[in-house]
Amino acid sequence: MYDVIVIGGGPAGYVAAIRSSQLGLATACVEEFVDDSGNAVFGGTCLNVGCIPSKALLDSSHRFYEAAGHLDTHGIKVEKVKLDLSVMMDRKDSIVKKLTGGIGGLFAANKVTPITGRGKVIAGNNVEITKSDGTSEIIAAKNIIIATGSSPIEIASAEFNNNVVDSTGALEFTEVPKTLGVIGAGVIGLELGSVWARLGSKVTVIEAMDDFLFMADKEIAKDSLKDFKKQGLDIKLGSRLVASKNLKKSVKISYENSAGTEEMEFDKLVVAVGRRPNVQNVFSEDSGVHLDERGFISVDDHCQTSASNVWAIGDVVRGPMLAHKGSEEGVMVAERIAGKHAEMNYDLVPSVIYTHPEIAWVGKNEEELKSENRSYKVGKFPFAASGRALAVDQSTGFVKVISDESTDTILGVHVFGPSAAEIVQQALISMEFGASSEDLGLTIFSHPTVSEALHEAALAVNNQAIHIGNKRK
Amino acid sequence: MAIEIKSPTFPESIADGTVANWLKQEGESVNQDEVIAEIETDKVVLEVVAPSDGFVSKILKVEGDIVNSSEVIGEFSESDATNTSQSKVEKLVEKNDETSATPEQEPPKTSNKNGPAANKLISENNLDASSIKASGKDNRITKADVVNHLDAKDQAPKTDHNLSQPVSNRPEKRVSMTRLRSTIAKRLVSVQQETAMLTTFNEVDMLPIKELRTKYGQEFEKQHGVKLGFMGFFVIAAVQALKKSPIVNASIDGGDVVYHGYQDIGVAVSTERGLVVPIIKDADTKSLPELEKSILEYSEKARDGKLSIDDMQGGTFTISNGGVFGSLLSTPILNAPQTAILGMHTIQERPVARNGEVVIRPMMYLAMSYDHRLLDGKEAVRFLVSIKEQLESPERLLLNL
Repeated sequence: MYDVIVIGGGPAGYVAAIRSSQLGLATACVEEFVDDSGNAVFGGTCLNVGCIPSKALLDSSHRFYEAAGHLDTHGIKVEKVKLDLSVMMDRKDSIVKKLTGGIGGLFAANKVTPITGRGKVIAGNNVEITKSDGTSEIIAAKNIIIATGSSPIEIASAEFNNNVVDSTGALEFTEVPKTLGVIGAGVIGLELGSVWARLGSKVTVIEAMDDFLFMADKEIAKDSLKDFKKQGLDIKLGSRLVASKNLKKSVKISYENSAGTEEMEFDKLVVAVGRRPNVQNVFSEDSGVHLDERGFISVDDHCQTSASNVWAIGDVVRGPMLAHKGSEEGVMVAERIAGKHAEMNYDLVPSVIYTHPEIAWVGKNEEELKSENRSYKVGKFPFAASGRALAVDQSTGFVKVISDESTDTILGVHVFGPSAAEIVQQALISMEFGASSEDLGLTIFSHPTVSEALHEAALAVNNQAIHIGNKRK
Repeated sequence: MAIEIKSPTFPESIADGTVANWLKQEGESVNQDEVIAEIETDKVVLEVVAPSDGFVSKILKVEGDIVNSSEVIGEFSESDATNTSQSKVEKLVEKNDETSATPEQEPPKTSNKNGPAANKLISENNLDASSIKASGKDNRITKADVVNHLDAKDQAPKTDHNLSQPVSNRPEKRVSMTRLRSTIAKRLVSVQQETAMLTTFNEVDMLPIKELRTKYGQEFEKQHGVKLGFMGFFVIAAVQALKKSPIVNASIDGGDVVYHGYQDIGVAVSTERGLVVPIIKDADTKSLPELEKSILEYSEKARDGKLSIDDMQGGTFTISNGGVFGSLLSTPILNAPQTAILGMHTIQERPVARNGEVVIRPMMYLAMSYDHRLLDGKEAVRFLVSIKEQLESPERLLLNL
């Protein structure tokens, strides 16, 4: 009998499986996604059709964009830049293959048993495994971890077909669409829109909400919207998709906004309006597992479901749908199963949008603090004043550090600009240790780095910035 | 090659102490056995002396820091190798061996490094890090912890708004109480609250004692090497009276009365740091010159802050002398768990009636505070009268009357 069976081999599930095994628990990981030869492919959405392939294309497309006429100021003249999309896609696929294969190696090294098939929790702490040939077997486990992830939401007004695709489809176009429509100006819509815009598509992003990046810092949302528009993304806010019609070689949509109803035609349409948890057929009714009011598997702070010894982690439970959040939940659950003390700090889950420039943040933004009636102070530093940012031609954006008015404890860090995710990560480590902005101020930063902007923003919180004027008190 | 400087080993009754001051700073050279630091405890100031000739190489616990018994408070380096004799080198090696025997116990302290802002605030405000509640990972202190600690500290006295309003032309200075002072404060309040304290008064005609001193003072000093003071007489008188009334020499312990079969007399001595009460142990076995000698010894020790904890432990009765400051009359506070305390006062020439005549006599008021729970008024008054009578007729001291 296994001590732990993990259902799902994405970033939450495979991490939970490896950690469980490391802690001496007999562990198996069930994955239904298979390659051409019928073997389970681990890594989930993140590695196969999410984080990793999109980052590969973001990088490739950015290089193409720069080569195609954006190196002039560096004195580099490039003539006749040609795009070979299939090579670009092959590169992406080979990275994915390398990483997913790597998980198989990690499982072997950590003695995790991979099981191919679809796992379902049934009553009495059993997992029913259904193979692709329809046969099934039941395996008992002392503990079951559900990590079945999420899938792109399909909407009635834009059902998927050869021209209407989800995020996965948008990573696999065989030619660059001349015109591309993106429904949803969220993280996925912006990243995919950026990729194809750089490769030559005329991209229109249709967003139902009036606010751009409502979850981000207001100033960053405003500045980045301006920048994306400059990059050629036509972002239509407050616009709701009404209907779409597949015209075989293109797709025609109609959307409505305050001005009325308008129509547009695109070669391809990407629907990126969000993801829904994969809860269908994941547990039987008598398993004791329940859903919460939003359709996620109901869990407590420690990811325990209402059924004893059944846990759920990652996109299938509450909280942001982020790989790193799922992974950490996986570690926490594995540790708790092994009888150790582990907690998730949900206050410090970072968010990143891998556009160019990047957007990243952790902790609270000003709006949230205002609504909580908390007094705070803000320090800001623009990359335009950073020597390194100017040298690498990435001086758009700024770092904003928000601290508690009286204790100076850092409450949030928001970055729009070069290496935003890495800069936020530095702040996040300090925040995990309860740092104040003065702590960052008293820390040495290498010169010249873009990270210095974090140092200066932290200093600016207490009006001590060196390389920019401080607000008068 | 540093030698650890450790705080002294405290007796069981003392939990911890505070670094009162470093008499030698980092880099300052000292001779062997020279005092380099003082540790103030609830009862006494303890000295830390140089283990050999050399210099203080590092101060780890600054003034105001709380230290435990035998805790490392600094580092010491022996004198330069150029003038170090072979034996000294050997000694140094030996010492290092001793200190390196327990290295495993030290690291946990240093591994919990606080953030730079927290450390900065702690040192800027002279705070004791161990008194701050840590909220960071692995018990690290964050800046917020220090700020909140300071806020809490600020808020406490703020109710006293008249005092804490700083007015530019009426300067104020706020300093924290020394441990000695706060221990005294705590004790005095608890005695007031926990006993039924009452004071009885009397007066004593000091003429006979004065005459004795005039007559034999010089001879006494020549013979015994110590001045013939008043205190010795009082101690003997008290011892005699205590023997007659053992209940005054007793103390309450919970529901029991403990009768002490010895008379250990505390003599309150005022010092710069506060009032201390060294104990003359087995005072009943000591002669007048012996008593005078130990009183002198104690007051010198007290003045130099060299009283040991042993010197102050115990005591069954206390004599306090407010007279040295000119007090005419006052009510002393009991030194718990003792049952009574005698207050001496200034000697003043006053007209008194003697055999129907008004005469001028050197008079002293006596006050005895006692715990009414154990002592009835009759006993207390008799006790004080007995002291008075002995002092007015010193021959009684000799005759055990």
